[in-house]
Amino acid sequence: MVKLTRRNFLKTTGILGATPFLAKVATAEEALAAAIVERDEYPLAKPENQIYTVCLQCNTGCGIKAKILDGVCVKIDGNPYSPWTIQPHIPYKKGISDASKIEGGLCLKGQSGIQTAYDPYRITKVLKRAGKRGENKWVTIDFHKAVSEIVNGGKIFSNVPGEEDREVEGLKSLYALKDPKVMKDMAADIKEIWHKKMTVEEFKKKYAEHLKTLIDPEHPDFGPKNNQFMWIHGRLKAGRSEFFKRFVQDAFGSANFNGHTTVCQGSLYFTGKAMSDQFEYDEKDKKAKWAGGKKFYWQGDIAGSEFVIFVGASPLEANYGPSYRSRAITDGITEGKLKIAVIDPRFSKTASKAWKWIPNKPGTEGAFALGMINRIIENKKYDAKYLSNANKAAAKADNEPTWSNAPWLVKIKDGKPADFLRASDLGIFKYKRKFTASDGKETWYELDGFVVLKDGKPSVFDPNDPEKGEEGELFVDTTIGGIQVKSALQLLKEEAAARTLEEWASICDVNKDDIIALADEFTKHGKKAVADIHRGVSQHTNGFYNVLAWYSLNLLIGNYDYRGGLVEASTYDIAGEKAGGPFNLKKLHPGKLSPFGISIIRHETKYEDTTIFSNYPAKRPWFPFSSDVYQEIIPSAGDAYPYPIKALLMYMGSPVYALPAGHTNIEILADVNKIPLFIDSDILVGTTSMYADYIFPDISYLERWEFQGSHPSITWKVQPIRQPAIPPIPETVTVFGEKMPICTESFMLAVAEKLGLPGYGPNGFGEGNPLMHYDHYYLKLVANTAFGEKKDGSGKVDEASDDEVNIFLKARKHLPRAVFDSSRWQSACGAENWKRVIYVLNRGGRFEDYEKGFDGEQVKNKYGKQINLYLEKVAKGKNSMTGKGFSGIATHLPIQDVLGRELKQSGKFQLITYREIYMTKSRTISNYWLLNLLPENFILMNASDAKEQGLKDNGLVKVVSDSNPEGVWDLKPFTKKPMIGKIKTTEGMKKGTIAFCLGYGHWATGASDVVLNGETIKGDTRRAKGIHANAAMAIDPYLKNTCLEDIVGGSVSFYDSKVNLVKI
Amino acid sequence: MSGGNKSRREFMKIAAGVAGAVVLTSAAKKLIAATVEKPSGEVERMHQELLNALKKSPSQRKWIMGVDARKCIGCDSCSVACAVENVAPVGTSYRTVYKVESGEGKDLNRFFMPTNCQQCDDAPCMKAANKFVPDAITKREDGIVVLNYEILKGSKEAREAAKKACPYTAIVDEAGGFYTANTPKLEQYENREIFEYGGEYKNKASLKGTIRKCTFCLHRLNSGMLPACVTSCIGRAMYFGDANDSSSLIYEKFKTKAAYILRPENKPQVAYLGYKSKEELSKVSSESCIVCHGQ
Repeated sequence: MVKLTRRNFLKTTGILGATPFLAKVATAEEALAAAIVERDEYPLAKPENQIYTVCLQCNTGCGIKAKILDGVCVKIDGNPYSPWTIQPHIPYKKGISDASKIEGGLCLKGQSGIQTAYDPYRITKVLKRAGKRGENKWVTIDFHKAVSEIVNGGKIFSNVPGEEDREVEGLKSLYALKDPKVMKDMAADIKEIWHKKMTVEEFKKKYAEHLKTLIDPEHPDFGPKNNQFMWIHGRLKAGRSEFFKRFVQDAFGSANFNGHTTVCQGSLYFTGKAMSDQFEYDEKDKKAKWAGGKKFYWQGDIAGSEFVIFVGASPLEANYGPSYRSRAITDGITEGKLKIAVIDPRFSKTASKAWKWIPNKPGTEGAFALGMINRIIENKKYDAKYLSNANKAAAKADNEPTWSNAPWLVKIKDGKPADFLRASDLGIFKYKRKFTASDGKETWYELDGFVVLKDGKPSVFDPNDPEKGEEGELFVDTTIGGIQVKSALQLLKEEAAARTLEEWASICDVNKDDIIALADEFTKHGKKAVADIHRGVSQHTNGFYNVLAWYSLNLLIGNYDYRGGLVEASTYDIAGEKAGGPFNLKKLHPGKLSPFGISIIRHETKYEDTTIFSNYPAKRPWFPFSSDVYQEIIPSAGDAYPYPIKALLMYMGSPVYALPAGHTNIEILADVNKIPLFIDSDILVGTTSMYADYIFPDISYLERWEFQGSHPSITWKVQPIRQPAIPPIPETVTVFGEKMPICTESFMLAVAEKLGLPGYGPNGFGEGNPLMHYDHYYLKLVANTAFGEKKDGSGKVDEASDDEVNIFLKARKHLPRAVFDSSRWQSACGAENWKRVIYVLNRGGRFEDYEKGFDGEQVKNKYGKQINLYLEKVAKGKNSMTGKGFSGIATHLPIQDVLGRELKQSGKFQLITYREIYMTKSRTISNYWLLNLLPENFILMNASDAKEQGLKDNGLVKVVSDSNPEGVWDLKPFTKKPMIGKIKTTEGMKKGTIAFCLGYGHWATGASDVVLNGETIKGDTRRAKGIHANAAMAIDPYLKNTCLEDIVGGSVSFYDSKVNLVKI
Repeated sequence: MSGGNKSRREFMKIAAGVAGAVVLTSAAKKLIAATVEKPSGEVERMHQELLNALKKSPSQRKWIMGVDARKCIGCDSCSVACAVENVAPVGTSYRTVYKVESGEGKDLNRFFMPTNCQQCDDAPCMKAANKFVPDAITKREDGIVVLNYEILKGSKEAREAAKKACPYTAIVDEAGGFYTANTPKLEQYENREIFEYGGEYKNKASLKGTIRKCTFCLHRLNSGMLPACVTSCIGRAMYFGDANDSSSLIYEKFKTKAAYILRPENKPQVAYLGYKSKEELSKVSSESCIVCHGQ
C-alpha cells in the first residue's frame, strides 16, 4: 500500500503539468467514473496527437497511427480502421475521438519506423560526387544549382580527375521531341512498320524534319532521344507513381519508366496477367482479341479456409504480411478450424504450425503441383461441374463467379498444342456481336466462336455470352474435320501423367506419400481449400510455369472467389477515372506527350516485329509477356541494347543490393560512358545511390503522400492513404514560388520549371488550375477517393463533423507550411470536397466495412470472369533466344539459362534466401530496435551437412561460386567486401540446401564511412554485420552481366544457384 | 482550484486508488458513452472490459495478463512495441520472447514463449529489495508491482537483490544510454518524455541509475488503453483484463484447467496456454517451459 505523503503523491500522479481541477459534485455513478479523469490522460491517447497513415517498412502497407509528442513521432501502432491490423476492423463511421484509444496489431518493423525516419545518417541537402563514381566522396550542392547542372549539362564534373573534358548531355538536350501530335503520329506509324505496312524509308521521308529527335533514324522504333532518359524505381506505390509518370512519360516523353517487379514476384504477376486475359472487343484494334489481362495475382482467403497449402510462402515472417495474415492462421489452428501444410526447404515459423512440413528441392515446386494434379485427375476428385463450364452464362447458371477454358478445344499442330479451334475452322458462321463503349457508342463486330465437344459433337460458343451457357466434355482427344484437337484439361492431364507419382516425388526429392496426402486432403474441403503460393514458387528460371501449375491445381476445385479459396485485391480508384471526376487525371494534362518506342528492357514487344530483329538468339531476351524486368535495366544500358542510355533517374531502390548477382550492375553504374548522368533519390547514401552523380534527399514514408493499394488476400475494397505525419527532414527549397522540402517531387517540379515542361506551373492542370506544389496533385487524389466510383456521387464518404475538422487541424500544428497549409490543401481538392477529404485523411484512407467483404460462401469483391487454364497468347509467342514457341499449359521445366540450356554448376549447396520478420530487404538496417533482437544474420544449414563439412555453429565461412570464386563484393572503386557469415545449424533445413536471410551485410546505408565536404562521417558498424550473399548467385553464362532469369514471366532466379562454403 | 481542502483530500484518495472525488470531464463523459456499444472481435471486447474495470475503484480490480503461446509466432512485435512505448533502456525491452527449436524429423518443433514481469502477489523482488530499503518496491491494490525509482536509485544493493531474486528475468538496468549516441546525431525521439506509473519523467537522464520493468502499461490503462504488448500482438496471443470480472474474455480463457502459471509459489498474475508438441495443440502443460526454466 502506498504511503501517501505530499511528496510521493506529486511524483506518482502528476501528469505533464496538468493541474487537478474540479467541477460540481456529481452523482454516485459518475463519481465512480472519476478514475478516468482528464489529469490521467496520456497525451498519446488523444486524437489530436495522432495522424493516421500507412507503414512502408515492408510492402504490406499496414494502416498505422503515428503518435506525436512535441512534434516528434514517438510511437507507431496499428490503425483500427484498417483491416490489416485488427479483425474485425472498426466501422468506418466510428468517430476518431472514439477510435483514439483503440489500436490494431503492428509488427516490429512497423513499430521501428521511427528509426527509419529519424536516422542520423539521413541526408538533408543535395549531394554531388566529389570523386569518381563509387568513391563515396561527396560535397553538398545548392538544390537549384544541381538542377541547373542536370538540365543544362556541360563539363559538370571537371573537378574529377579523368573527367575534366567530359561533356555531359543535360536533360534539355534529351528533351528532343516535344510536339504531341508528331509523337502520336510517329507512334502510330511505328505500328505500321511493325505490321509491315510501312517501310523505314517511307517513315524517314514522312518525318524528315524531325529525324534529329530520334535516337537512330535507321531504327525509328527505338523512339525519340527522350527515351534515353530512363527511370528506375524500387519501392514505389500508387499516387506517387502517377506523379512520377506524369513527369517521366507525359511531360518529358520518355518510354522508359521501369520498376522492380521481377525481383519481387515477377512471374507470379505475369502468370496472373496471362491467365486473366479475356477474349473481348478491343476498341483500339477494332476487333475481338485476347486483352485486358491485368498484372496481378491471387492469394488465399485464410480466414475462410479449412485447408491451406503454403508453397514457398511464409506469412508468419514475410509475405503480405504477418500483421494481417498471422491471426487467421493462429486463430484457425488453435480453434481446430484450419489445417495447414507448408512446402519449403526451410522449417519456417509458418511450418512450425503446420500439419505437414514438406522440404522440397528448390525449383521443383511446379513438379509437386503436377504430381498432385496427376493424383486428383486419376481419382476424379476435381470439381467436374465447375470445369465443364465453358463460358459466362454456364458459370452464372451454377452460381459460379468464374469459369475456365478447361473444356475448350486446342488444335494440335506438328504434335504440339497451338491455337484454339474456331468456328471458322469448321466452316461455321461467325457471331455478330455488339459492343457498347463507355460513351454509349455502339459498334458491331464479328466473333469467331470457340469450340467444345458436347455429346460427342463439336459445339461453337461465345466465351462471354451472358445468356446461352455452354458446357463441354472435360477430356477430349479427337479429330474434327481433319484437325487433331485436345481439350485444355486433356493437355493438363497429359502433362501431369507424363511422369508417375514416384518420378514426380523423385524430381522434388520428397516422399510420394506426401504428394498423395496433400492431394487427398486438398479435395476433401469443397471450395474451402487453397494452395497459396509466393516467391518460393515464382523466383526460378521456371517460375512462370511453376505458378501456372499451382493456379491450375486451384482451378481443379474451382475455388476462385470463394471464402477459403483464391481471392484478389480490390481498391478504390484514385485517378478519378471510374466516376469521371472530381479530378479525372487523364484529362488534366495540357500538352501531354504519348511516349513510344522499344523500352530498354524490350517489354511487351515482339522481337520479330522490330527493325532490330536479326536472328536467334537475340543479343538479350525480349519479354512479350512481362514488364518491369528489373534485372534487365542496367545490364541492357551497359550493352546499349537496343540503344544507349544518356541519363538515369533512380528512386528508392538498390538494384545492386536487391538483385541476385546484383554486383554485375556496379561496373556499369560506375562507368560514366555507359551511363553518362546518374541521379538518385534516396534518404541516405545507399548501396546503389553511392554510385550516383547526384543524390537528392527524399522524404521518408512518414513525411509524404502515397496511395498504398492492397494485396490479394485482403477481401475488402480499400485505399490506404499515406500522408505527412512529421516535419520533413530534408531542407526546404522554393520551386514555382512555393516552399517545399527537397524530395523527388520537388526535383521534378524544378526540372519542369526550368525546362518549361507541359503540365506544370500556374496552369499545370489546365487554365487557372495550378500544379506548383505537389499538394496540388495529391489532394486531388484524396478527393477522388473520398468521392468514390459512382458518377452520381452515391459513393461519397460522409463529411467530417466540426469536431473532426478541429482535431484534424490541431493534429497538424507541428507541420511546417512547406508541407501542411490548410488553405493550400483546401484549394487543391476543392472547397466542396474539403470536409470529405478530412474525413478520409482522419481515418488513414478508405476501408469498406467488415460485413461488406462477404457474399455468403463467396467474397463480395470478385475477380468474376474467365480464368485461362490454357494460355493461347503464350503458346503463340516466340522465344527470342531460340525462335521456338512456348508451352501454353502448365509443365515442368528444369532450371535453365536464357538459351534454354541446363546449367552446370560445381557448387555443392543450393543457395536460397528467406525473410526473417526482423528485416525487410534493405532499408531497415538502420533500425536499432530490430538490430537488438537480431544483430546479424547467419547461414542456416542442415546439422548433418554441417558436420560432414566440418563446420560448427558460429563458425565463419565464405560463400563462393562458379561466377564468384573469390567470394567477394567488388564494390569498385570503394572496397572489396568478402561474403563471410556465421554458420547456424538446424534440423529444419533440407539437406543440400543452405539459406541466409536478406537485409544484412551492408556496405552503405550508414554502415561505412563517407566523406562529405572533406570531412569523414564515420559509419556505424552495427549496420555492417552479417552476410549478403547475392554476389555469389549464378550469372547467366550467355548474358554474362545478369543473373539467371525466367524469360517468360521475367522473374529473377533467387533460388537456383549452387555455391560452396569455405571455412575461414 | 475551487473546492478547497475537501476536494484536495478526495483527489488524493484517487491517487492512492481509492474511490471518491467528483471530477467529470467531457472526455470522461465520452468514454462512458462509448461503453454502450457492443464490441466485436477480441481486442475490442478486451478494450470494453477495460473501460468497465476502470469504472470501479482500483481496489476492486485486479489486473491479469494471459499468453496463448500456441498463437505466438515468435515475431517479437510485442517486445519492440514495449521498448518503444516505454523508452526501455538501450538494448533491452521489458518483454522477452524465448524461441526454442527442438526435436527432429516428425517431432521437429519450434515454439515461442513471451515473458515479462508477472506482477507477483508474493513478489520475490519486493522481498529481496525491501530488506535493504523499505518500500523500494511496493504492490498496488490493482496488483501492479511498483519499482520506486527515486528510492532504488539510491541503493545498489536493493537493485542487485531485486534483479537476482526475479526468476522471470524481468528486471533491467537503466544506464541512461542512447541508440544514436556515437552517430552523427542524437535523435530527439530517444530523449522524449517517459510515462510510467503516471509519472513525469522528463527524459532518459532522469531515470538513469534505477532498475525498470514491465508496469502492465499502467499509464495506458489509466487512459483506457490496453497494454502495448496486447494490442501490438499480430498472432493475437495476448490477453488482458480484470480477474474480478468473471464475464471477461481473459477469465473465460485463462481461469480454466488448461491454463497454467510459472512458479506458482510467487503467485504470478500472468497465465499461459501452451502446448507440448505440434500434435498436441489442445493439450497443455508447463513441461515445455521446464526445458528452459527448470523445475
